[in-house]
Amino acid sequence: MMIRAVKGLTRRLPIIIPFFWLFVFFLTPFFIVLQISFAEFEYGQPPYVPNFRKVEGLSDFFTQLQMMTLYSYEILLSDNLYWKAFLSSLRIAAVATFFALLIGYPLAYGMARAPRSIQPILLMAIILPFWTSYLIRIYAWKAILQKNGFLNNVLIKLSVITEPLTLLSTPFAVYLGIIYTYLPFMVLPVYSSLEKIDPSYTEAARDLGASGFTTFWRVIVPLSLPGVIAGCFLVFIPAMGEWVIPDLLGGSGTLMIGKQLATELFNNNDWPVAAAVAVCMIVVLIVPIVVFQRVQERDQLRRQQEG
Amino acid sequence: MTQQDKLISPAPTTDFSPWAEQDQEPLVQFRNVTKRFGSFVAVDNVSLNIYQREFFALLGPSGCGKTTLMRMLAGFETPTSGEIIVDGKNIVDVAPDKRPINMMFQSYALFPHMTVEQNVAFGLHRSGGPAKSEIEDRTNRMLKLVQLEPFAKRKPNQLSGGQKQRVALARALARSPKILLLDEPLAALDKKLREQTQFELMNIQEELGLTFLIVTHDQQEAMTVSSRIGVMRAGQLQQIGTPGEVYEYPQTGFVADFIGDTSLFEIEIVGQEGDFTVAKWNGAEAPVYLRALDDNPVDPAAKFLSVRPEKVTVSREQPTDAPNAFKGKVVDIAYTGSQSVYHVELSPGVTIKALDTNRLRLVASSITWNDEVWVSWRARSGVVFQS
Repeated sequence: MMIRAVKGLTRRLPIIIPFFWLFVFFLTPFFIVLQISFAEFEYGQPPYVPNFRKVEGLSDFFTQLQMMTLYSYEILLSDNLYWKAFLSSLRIAAVATFFALLIGYPLAYGMARAPRSIQPILLMAIILPFWTSYLIRIYAWKAILQKNGFLNNVLIKLSVITEPLTLLSTPFAVYLGIIYTYLPFMVLPVYSSLEKIDPSYTEAARDLGASGFTTFWRVIVPLSLPGVIAGCFLVFIPAMGEWVIPDLLGGSGTLMIGKQLATELFNNNDWPVAAAVAVCMIVVLIVPIVVFQRVQERDQLRRQQEG
Repeated sequence: MTQQDKLISPAPTTDFSPWAEQDQEPLVQFRNVTKRFGSFVAVDNVSLNIYQREFFALLGPSGCGKTTLMRMLAGFETPTSGEIIVDGKNIVDVAPDKRPINMMFQSYALFPHMTVEQNVAFGLHRSGGPAKSEIEDRTNRMLKLVQLEPFAKRKPNQLSGGQKQRVALARALARSPKILLLDEPLAALDKKLREQTQFELMNIQEELGLTFLIVTHDQQEAMTVSSRIGVMRAGQLQQIGTPGEVYEYPQTGFVADFIGDTSLFEIEIVGQEGDFTVAKWNGAEAPVYLRALDDNPVDPAAKFLSVRPEKVTVSREQPTDAPNAFKGKVVDIAYTGSQSVYHVELSPGVTIKALDTNRLRLVASSITWNDEVWVSWRARSGVVFQS
């Protein structure tokens, strides 16, 4: 009896550990955030009315329930700043994803077509920036883009421009930062799906009279679509919640929901509203995340059927 | 008409042997074609003519260069030197999509994101090409040819191996190529289906009047389907001939051994005794008698003798009429149902294979392990060569 129980436990252990991990480090903090979002703001430490303690009896449960308030969510709905920030984030993430694809696909294609022997080096070159802190790299961009920064100096030296351009604190700088940061997340999955395409498909297409371009468009692109979809989600999802890049590279005019959240939390010290923003972001992002996982699963299933 | 009826190959109406006719222009000519990959010579100075309506088989062990030779004809490899002439034109610099040649890939290479129909129609879409209705028509005819009409809307991953093979065939044939290349087309199929498909391929080739070039390592497949076989080894063509020629008149020990089954012996020709050439060998004290099929003298420089198992008779009593009769001991029997192959040891380390058809329904053969037996063969049954 005992042995059987132990056996059952050891068999389930590989599943129990990640569940335990998720429960402790994701679900618990998430429920705390959810709870704070329903609390009322007050000056103090913590800066909200404690709205959850040990439940003592049924009536106490209802009392506690009555202390929950949707006030923070009402603020989100009534003040169109939040709406605008959400929409602006969506737009920035979508545009950045589009450009990351535009730059990343040819990059990945070139890597996949390169001689096998140098592919690991190219792969390394894509991964290498991750060895430096992301914050430092964004600060580096700040130095490059500022009025008397590297880029302006070079352009003036080359006589392309006479007056330094305002590059920093513009939407351009934000796009640049996001595309730069998340490009590897586009390149890697696209490369991996391109690299898996059996070269005999290309040969078969050429053999059947297709030109190089037709082969690319009708065979290579459709077969690399799973990688493209994965890459788009991997760029879009974190870009949507980005805070550091618009904060450092963008101006006051750059609205992004992540930046708004940080303002609520650090400047206004309004934890309930910040928590409500966070909850809304998760709800909004859950849709693309679920779609992404569905696509991944379907792709995996197809691969299994083929293999 | 049942499936079985379709498999029966129509008897050849005329003697088909364009390679023997002086005035015949070959459809494909490999002229001194060499292909090197770095320092490795994949194809070594190969010259070969293939004629219209031929079903030519390139046969050889893996790595012998047969696939490289075919890929050069398809346009996926460029020869290091030499010319490839198709229809009187050197096509070495022509891109694969501009060649009147289509290939059926070993992996089939069916586009997984397209339906069967779309796969077959793929090669028909081109600017200035046939109209939509024409493409549809052609696709349907191709699907009908390979009996896959009910599967038109399926994706390749919903098909069996045999069905995939047919789609690949239909796709390659859809563009009506002058030459169809088949790269190990049946390797992925099980034995029964493979044999059935061999006949289907032959029928289709005959029906459409096309030229087929097949690459295979399966000698039985090559013998069954082809009009001629080119046997390759280490980048070189060892012998070109009809299946009968390469089987009965192998020019090297390699060809004799690779095609069919044989016993090979080292010999040394010592003299002549009437019609027979006499040779010393290591099979027995007594010499072995040789005679050429066409009454030419046996090559006096021959160093090897090949005797096919089916030409060797095994018996308990000493045969009286055969010039070559030797005593030995049965060391192994390979029973395959229809026939048994006896491995008879003539002298220490020297064995000969003798094939006996099991005409009678006896489970236990009269000859068994360790029996003393006589093996014999006619002087004309042995084939000799220098290497």
